[in-house]
Amino acid sequence: MLKSIFTWWNGATIGARFDIGRRARAVGQDDQGNKYYEERKPSLEGRKRRYVIYNGYAEPTKVPPDWHGWLHHTFDKPPTESPLPRKSWELAHKPNMTGTLDAYRPKGSLAEGGERAKSSGDYEAWKP
Amino acid sequence: MTDTVKLVVDGVAVDAPKTYTLLQACELAGAEIPRFCYHERLSIAGNCRMCLVDWVGAPKPIASCAQTVGDMAPKKDGTPHEISTKSPRAIKARNGVMEFLLINHPLDCPICDQGGECDLQDQAMGYGRAASRYGENKRAVDDKYMGPLVKTIMTRCIQCTRCVRFAAEVAGVDEIGLANRGEDAEITTYLEKSLTSELSGNVIDLCPVGALTSKPYAFNARPWELRKTESIDVMDALGSAIRVDARGPTVMRILPRVNEEINEEWISDKTRFVWDGLGRQRLDKPYVRENGALKAATWDAALKRAAEMLKVSGDAIGVIAGDLADAESMKAAKDLAGSLGVKSIDCRQDGAKLGMAADGSKLPRESYLFNSTIMGIDEADAIVLIGVNPRKEAAVLNARLRKAWLRMVPIALLGERVDLTFDYNYLGTGPDSLKDLKAGHPVFDALTNAKRPLIIVGQGALTRSDGAAVLHAVSAMAAAAGAFKGGWNGFSVLHTAASRVAGLDMGFLPSAGGKDVAGIIAGAQSGDITTVLLLGADEIDTSKLGRANVIYIGSHGDNGAHRADVILPGAAYTEKSGTYVNTEGRVQRAQRAVAPKGDAREDWAIIRALSAYVGNTLPYDTLAQLRAKLGADHNSFLGLDFAPGTHGGSVAPPYGTAGSLQSAAFTTPIKAFHLTNPIARASRTMAECAELAAGVSPAVAAE
Repeated sequence: MLKSIFTWWNGATIGARFDIGRRARAVGQDDQGNKYYEERKPSLEGRKRRYVIYNGYAEPTKVPPDWHGWLHHTFDKPPTESPLPRKSWELAHKPNMTGTLDAYRPKGSLAEGGERAKSSGDYEAWKP
Repeated sequence: MTDTVKLVVDGVAVDAPKTYTLLQACELAGAEIPRFCYHERLSIAGNCRMCLVDWVGAPKPIASCAQTVGDMAPKKDGTPHEISTKSPRAIKARNGVMEFLLINHPLDCPICDQGGECDLQDQAMGYGRAASRYGENKRAVDDKYMGPLVKTIMTRCIQCTRCVRFAAEVAGVDEIGLANRGEDAEITTYLEKSLTSELSGNVIDLCPVGALTSKPYAFNARPWELRKTESIDVMDALGSAIRVDARGPTVMRILPRVNEEINEEWISDKTRFVWDGLGRQRLDKPYVRENGALKAATWDAALKRAAEMLKVSGDAIGVIAGDLADAESMKAAKDLAGSLGVKSIDCRQDGAKLGMAADGSKLPRESYLFNSTIMGIDEADAIVLIGVNPRKEAAVLNARLRKAWLRMVPIALLGERVDLTFDYNYLGTGPDSLKDLKAGHPVFDALTNAKRPLIIVGQGALTRSDGAAVLHAVSAMAAAAGAFKGGWNGFSVLHTAASRVAGLDMGFLPSAGGKDVAGIIAGAQSGDITTVLLLGADEIDTSKLGRANVIYIGSHGDNGAHRADVILPGAAYTEKSGTYVNTEGRVQRAQRAVAPKGDAREDWAIIRALSAYVGNTLPYDTLAQLRAKLGADHNSFLGLDFAPGTHGGSVAPPYGTAGSLQSAAFTTPIKAFHLTNPIARASRTMAECAELAAGVSPAVAAE
């Protein structure tokens, strides 16, 4: 609660929470605990605006692809009503890890052990 | 009347020759004049207007490149004209020109290959405005197809027309032009054909902006990350001055250097674009043939095997030096052969009858040099070409001949009737026409009457079986025509191989009882020769070497390597410091730009190591010692970068051996200009050019 008073980067500010609560209805919640809302009546853009209030740190990449599609009006119905078909090879959604210890580092990076592929040479050798 | 005009340029008084342009006079006074269209070796166009200077008293700034000093009428009071290159009016005029040029020039320097070596970029730093005042759309121009070598981005073009003038004046092919006018003006190839000139790559250097850039080099490197090495070209026998640009261990491009005495500032396309062959088909480790198949081996094993092969009678060994061999490695090979008692050594793998007479006596140096010197072409006033196609054999030299033709020098050709980019008087196809060339023949009389007659004889006339007789006949004809006179020797042999003159100079020739190249091949067939050492010799028919053991020392996997029983990997010309002697007899040194590939070593060091394995260790351990020995044994190698010309000697012609001439026509030894040596044959760019030249339409990737 203190955080939502003094910071804008945790969930939503009080003003935003008030505004969303006044004119939108809750639609659902994803695995991460982000909550999604949709306006009751179309305003401003002529269509019902959709909102997300992040669970904790406000980081847009925390939104999974199915909810992302709904948020951007790609899908009419939220994933709670019509979940996206999932393939067996699909990995779980992962937010952007840049700047954290889990950030992606290529194999040659010193943080990953610094093992680089052997240089293939700058010329093509003749083969008998 | 004096020949000079007094001028005061920025307060500095100069005496400028009347033939100078005002731009040259200003440079004489130390002023720097920006320019785009002006080029010393091309005609004056005066269309970029960047060289505007302030002529004090003149109503307007004048284009200094188009103003001849001699045309400036003297002032009434006799004081010299004052020129200001730094006055506010001159600077403002140049600022205005630059602003106009930049109106339609794209702002794509970050993705432009010319970036970092662009005249427009540099001069915009001095004369450009900080920001554009032009709000309208920029003009866009379709890119033109100019073949596999020249990449065009025509929107960048500022219509300086340097490329047009180069194509028309130097290259002699009217294939580039400026079409339309005003805003629609564009440089075009008319038919979207590739340029047919062997010098087309030079338009890349000439282009002051990034409109014409090198296609094989596109997006490969930036000029500031390249290591520049000044070296010598070996693609033909001219020894053009080049600069090898390398990044790390890779040669990225080759550019010309100015050498007025050889290549001015042009180089042929083969010289310029062969660099991708330096990274392909490379021999990077020793190989030994075991049970019919080549297997990678250690140096120790390969040298041991090679030494075993050489432990036979000296009469059963043949040594052939190829077209790209440097003088040091040939000297080492010759000394090794001498220590083994080998008589059959030859550097003339094309079979030219040069350097020695039929009886085995050595011919004087001037019998196989380009005695008039290449610069001498500019002085010649009658030229006869015999059995030579200079366009293919020495493209840069052909530009000199064309320059002579532009001076109205009569040129006659005896040999294959080819397009030389200039008109000539055609004399006939072969020796029969040569016999007609005597007093009474108009061409012969023109030679006799000329002050500096020049007779150029090519390898097409000398590699035949009657080559010695042709040499005799041509030199006798030259003597009769007065080609030998005080201060002038007009008998010139044009070679095709970079190594040939060095080989002839050091006597890399069969000694008494020895066999020449044809003899070595025949001996290998019949079994007389059991070991053949090929020093980069790939242009012989290696399939005819019979059952002989073949040791190949070279840089590229080509004909020689395929036939070899032991391969000792050597260095290409960009990877070793080597001495080459050009067709004039000019001793030049190529420098090492990058290291040899893999386990390869410099060729002379391989032969030195081999000599230790054979048991006849050569008496030099360093390149300096080898060069000292080379100079001591053969004096002509002592002076660097000097064309002997008439100072070479004075043994009177005729040279060669008198004999009957066959009637077969002279043909040029170069069938495919782009594929004359192993490096060029390994190059994809050269292969593409060769296909185009042969009339095969290359597969073009869909864009």
